[in-house]
Amino acid sequence: MMSPAGLGEFELLVLLSILRQAQDPYANRVREDLETHAERRVTRGALYRTLDRLTEKGLVAWELEASEVPARGGHPMRRIRVTPEGLAAAQRSREIMRTFFSGLDPLGDRP
Amino acid sequence: MNDPVPSPPSLPRRLLESALAQDPAAPAILGDLHEEFVGRWERRGPTRARLWYVREATLLAVSRLAHAPSAPSNGGLVAIATPLMQDVAYAARSLRSNPSFVLLTAAIVGLGVGALTAAYSVVKPLLVAPLPFEDPGQLVWIQNEAVPGENSLSAVTSRTSNLVDFRERARSFEGITGYNAFSEQTVYTLTGSGEPEPLRGFGVAHDFLDVLGIEPTAGRGFSAAEGRWGGPGAVLLDYGFWQRRFAGDPGVVGTALTLNGTPREVVGILPEGFDFASIFRPGARVDLLVPFPIAPETDRWGNTAFFIGRLRDDASPESAQAELQGLVASLQQDQPDRWGLGAEIIPLRTHVAAPVRSSLLILLGAAAAVLLIVCVNVSNMLLARVPGRSREMAVRAALGASRGRMIRQLLLESTGTAMLGALLGAGLAWVVVGFVSGADGIQVPMLDQIRVDGSALGIAAAAALATGLLVGLIPALHVAGGGEAGILRSGGRGHSGSRGSRRLREALVVAELALACVLLVAGGLLLRSFQAVLDVELGFEPARTVAWQLNPSRDFETLEETSNFYRLAADRVAEVPGVEAVGLSDALPLGRNRTWGFQVVGGDPELSETTGGFYPHLVDDGYLPSMGIEVVEGRNFGSWDIQGSAPVVLMNASGATALFPDGSALGQRILTGGEGTEWEVVGVVEDVRHLSPELDPGVQVYFPVTQLWDYGTLDLLVRTSVPEDVIVPGVATALQEVDPAMPVQDHWTLEGQLREVNSSRRFILQVLVAFAGVALILAALGIYGVLAVSVAERGPEISIRMALGASGPDVVKRVLGRTLALAAAGIVVGTAISLGLSDLLRSLLFGVEATDWVTFGGIWLLLFGVAVFSAAVPATRAARVRGIRALRVE
Repeated sequence: MMSPAGLGEFELLVLLSILRQAQDPYANRVREDLETHAERRVTRGALYRTLDRLTEKGLVAWELEASEVPARGGHPMRRIRVTPEGLAAAQRSREIMRTFFSGLDPLGDRP
Repeated sequence: MNDPVPSPPSLPRRLLESALAQDPAAPAILGDLHEEFVGRWERRGPTRARLWYVREATLLAVSRLAHAPSAPSNGGLVAIATPLMQDVAYAARSLRSNPSFVLLTAAIVGLGVGALTAAYSVVKPLLVAPLPFEDPGQLVWIQNEAVPGENSLSAVTSRTSNLVDFRERARSFEGITGYNAFSEQTVYTLTGSGEPEPLRGFGVAHDFLDVLGIEPTAGRGFSAAEGRWGGPGAVLLDYGFWQRRFAGDPGVVGTALTLNGTPREVVGILPEGFDFASIFRPGARVDLLVPFPIAPETDRWGNTAFFIGRLRDDASPESAQAELQGLVASLQQDQPDRWGLGAEIIPLRTHVAAPVRSSLLILLGAAAAVLLIVCVNVSNMLLARVPGRSREMAVRAALGASRGRMIRQLLLESTGTAMLGALLGAGLAWVVVGFVSGADGIQVPMLDQIRVDGSALGIAAAAALATGLLVGLIPALHVAGGGEAGILRSGGRGHSGSRGSRRLREALVVAELALACVLLVAGGLLLRSFQAVLDVELGFEPARTVAWQLNPSRDFETLEETSNFYRLAADRVAEVPGVEAVGLSDALPLGRNRTWGFQVVGGDPELSETTGGFYPHLVDDGYLPSMGIEVVEGRNFGSWDIQGSAPVVLMNASGATALFPDGSALGQRILTGGEGTEWEVVGVVEDVRHLSPELDPGVQVYFPVTQLWDYGTLDLLVRTSVPEDVIVPGVATALQEVDPAMPVQDHWTLEGQLREVNSSRRFILQVLVAFAGVALILAALGIYGVLAVSVAERGPEISIRMALGASGPDVVKRVLGRTLALAAAGIVVGTAISLGLSDLLRSLLFGVEATDWVTFGGIWLLLFGVAVFSAAVPATRAARVRGIRALRVE
């Protein structure tokens, strides 16, 4: 389902996860974050596809950076950052969500 | 951890690299996977990390290819693989949406593929793979020229002097060796360490291993000195025996084993891959090899040996045969008195496979027929789904999919399903083959060698692939056959049940029934043969018997001493509670196999030649009652028939008739044995099937063990009124009282022996009946499927008929009529094929003709019955069609 800001639900989650990372977000960390906190299984295929889409939309940008970490077997790391357009889209989504949630009763939240 | 910098499996990594060839983020993605792989390696260990990587990289590669942009910029794997991967992904989704159909189809394919894979695995060591020897194509079997119809070992074995002459004078061979075919008459009792144990050994010429090209696992083969008469005692241990008795201790080489009271040096251990018994004496057990002297002393024993030759590179079996024939003729000319000369050359592999070759070919053919039936069945199931799929394909075509692409799509689905079936089939084959190779006492050569190996899995995969393409093609052509607009307009039912498609499905059912008919007829004929074998009048009563081979721990000097020992043993055993009768014999039926020549005193001197000698039995006076063999005329042996009294024999009824057609055999004399003794016939007894239930009894002569000392050991037969496991300990104790060092743990029953003799017949029968059963079930499913779909499609037509006055029974009659027509067509075709193949089957039949009308008739009835049974549900459903409802659906 597309959110009103033109973002799919999973796209929004990926975007937010990148923003949440305190330092140096990259794919493995985003995936871990989503699996731990969004309570869903994330396949690599879906994650990379979403990153491709967000890049195409200009909401994220990335560059390859040489990595010294031995566990990466000499492969570089993809440093991902959210572009100003991405930040704006996330904010727009949040406003829309807030508007729609605020009109409701406690929404089944048990006391 | 074992490895400080683990690296992921290279094949999936390369696959992923190719799939990511167009992706600028590829190095980082590979790094992401690498990083997690290392983490898992440390947390969960190498195996699980590697498995994870294989799965993850493959899934990711498929996902990237399936979702790559539709027009890749340049060629390579991506250009070819992307649309294919998209189709694969689509096929997978389509299969997942209908799991029960896919599983059913895969299970049916699995049955067929499993049958073929298992059959191939059984056949392979005998008919496909080379024998486990060095350069096995150069090895030939050399036997004596058999008299047609002559089945005894003595008729096809040779004297050792022949081997001496062949070795010396034949130029076609690099080497000729041999073994003693009668070795089973000697049991080697191992004493000195723990319980005395009876061991089975075969005597081989000293160069046996050299000629066959077998390297011992440890130690060496026999030396020429050990191969001489009276040479140093030596023994080679079978690998399995070495493992069992000595826990694979190489230190046993060079030590001495006490066998029958004589020490023999263990000179070597046979390699694991060479099991003498499985190749040269299927169904038996061989624990050790001992030297068989090729010497004048063994030559005097007569025809005892089989030879194996290794041809020179420039010789062929034919040229060698010609040379040996010439040699035999010239030897005979030089020594006119020499007897037992002859040579017939057979490639070793042909000889080893010969007893079961036609069985195995039939097995393979039957498996192929099952797979064909499976193809037909699955094809039919897919055809039944054509109407439903047509609409889906019409939509795809309307959206721009090409016909080729749609056919590929459907073929991917059918091959995908078939591959799943291949997995199930390989599993099934693995179970079946494990069961068969572990079975004891089946007389099929090299049974222990059969396994589902790489080539069998390749056969499974190839069969599944072919099945997938074959069964998918017709439905795919049908579905993708165009007419989209019409299908869409017709409101979604697709062009259901066109006449052509129904005809095609019916033709497939006829094919299925025909194949099932062929398998059932073959199975039925073999079943009748097996019944006939079981019904043969054996001439003795195998039930409630237990036998022991007695191997006294000491040697005897005189016949009197020997017979006293055995007499004492038999008397002691007779006192054991539960023992009804005790008998002694040197050759119980269904075991040993030899013939002696003879002359009738005052009769035709050629008679021995024409009757092929006689089967000698050396027995005591308790033997006939214990075996349940009736005396027809005259008397049994008595306690007075001893050394020094008049030499007497008994003869079987057929023998008596053949030798003395003009009158009674009683009082007649025959001349046999080296000393020219004349033996008087004092009794005629019932015929006994000595070699196997299927072979004529021939001439059999019984000698008293108290008058003729021509045996190494005797078998003790006990007829009992209590179960085997109750009688065995009592008899064992009684025997050990007579000779404490005599091993008594090995015993057998005549019923067991009979089962073993019938084992290969039973084996092929069981397999074929199982195949035929599967074929019948599949054929029934096929009929049901076709009629059910046809009734469903023709609901409106049936309802109109009923509205116009047709009754329920009329409708049932129409459906059943159609069914019977299909069944009849299948039966006619199947019967014709069966008659055409009857020559192939004839060699396996016994007591029944390949054109046995009872079998054919029974199978026809069975097929008609099954056809009607399968049609019952669709027919009653048709009769319940209510006019209005069916029309409303329309």
